[in-house]
Amino acid sequence: MSDLRLNATQLDRYSRHVIMDEIGPDGQQRLLESAVLVVGAGGLGSPAIQYLAAAGVGQLGIVDDDVVERSNLQRQIVHGDADVGRPKVESAADYVAALNPDLDVDTHDTRVTADTVADLVAGYDIVLDASDNFATRYLLNDHCVLTETPLFHGAIYRFEGQLTSFTNERGGDEPRPCYRCVFPEAPEPGTVPDCATTGVLGVLPGTVGCIQATEAVKYLLGKGDLLEGRLLMYDAMDMSFEEVPIRPNPSCPVCGDDPEIESVGDVAYEGTCGISAD
Amino acid sequence: MEIDLRFFATFRDAVGEKERTRTVADDATVGDVLAALENEYDGLEGQLLEDGAVRPQLSVLKNGRNVVHMTGVDTSLEAGDVVSVFPPVAGG
Repeated sequence: MSDLRLNATQLDRYSRHVIMDEIGPDGQQRLLESAVLVVGAGGLGSPAIQYLAAAGVGQLGIVDDDVVERSNLQRQIVHGDADVGRPKVESAADYVAALNPDLDVDTHDTRVTADTVADLVAGYDIVLDASDNFATRYLLNDHCVLTETPLFHGAIYRFEGQLTSFTNERGGDEPRPCYRCVFPEAPEPGTVPDCATTGVLGVLPGTVGCIQATEAVKYLLGKGDLLEGRLLMYDAMDMSFEEVPIRPNPSCPVCGDDPEIESVGDVAYEGTCGISAD
Repeated sequence: MEIDLRFFATFRDAVGEKERTRTVADDATVGDVLAALENEYDGLEGQLLEDGAVRPQLSVLKNGRNVVHMTGVDTSLEAGDVVSVFPPVAGG
């Protein structure tokens, strides 16, 4: 029994978790001992950070190199009007500190690059991809495949969301695809416009980021069925969720039978995230 | 025969609708359909096929299964099949 490790305040704070058989004091303790890296403190990262913090994930790393802009506030709800101009990681860390004093928050006011990804991810149990660009998404995928780090994927476009979860546990009987199994290369820069160009429904990343956080919490608890091997496509306009099975691609450049990518140094991430010409 | 086509994200923008029914030859393959779409819509020209294969920047599904795991562009079609075309999206 480990329930005595939760103090009286924690038993109160997390009582709606603790009371459930699926979580209980042991599950809550597990959350408090977990470390999650959230890459991006924007539309997806905001709700994910909020719910992971509220759930008592004990160590929360937040990576973002942007400052808060007023146009972010329509959807990036971890930031407030007074935060405009501040680094997003600081604004998000302040929110978490006010919400839950149980947490240790690490702020990384930087961009994830092939040179920094290993140091940034080291020490965290899982990564939540709440980034806003293909370079970061392919880099996180490749690093997490190569290091067998679970990665929780969410992405948005106007009124649509795409979600899936990659445990990156290979070698077992279960098929474990990666992002490149579905999309071997990123679209050419400029062909899939970003939120600034196309607009985005403000509440859309709320739904998608919450699902990412749900998956992360389930994984940390070891409960439920993950979106592994399934790509969930959400259409806010139709209010429809569709699920597409995704399978490992034997010729996947990073997790296939004979992978070309053996290191993130092999990839030119600023282009289509294909293999470097050299 | 008739098949159903479904488009997501940028492909939805290029086609101007989420789904449509299209009449194709009885022996049409997935590749034939993609080539026809490239011809029909300016915004899709060069976006679906590359060197005779599905471009690595998108996924094409037949009835919810990636054609990569079948026979790619040579994957055969039957009346009523649903072909979905979607790109990765990066927004966050």
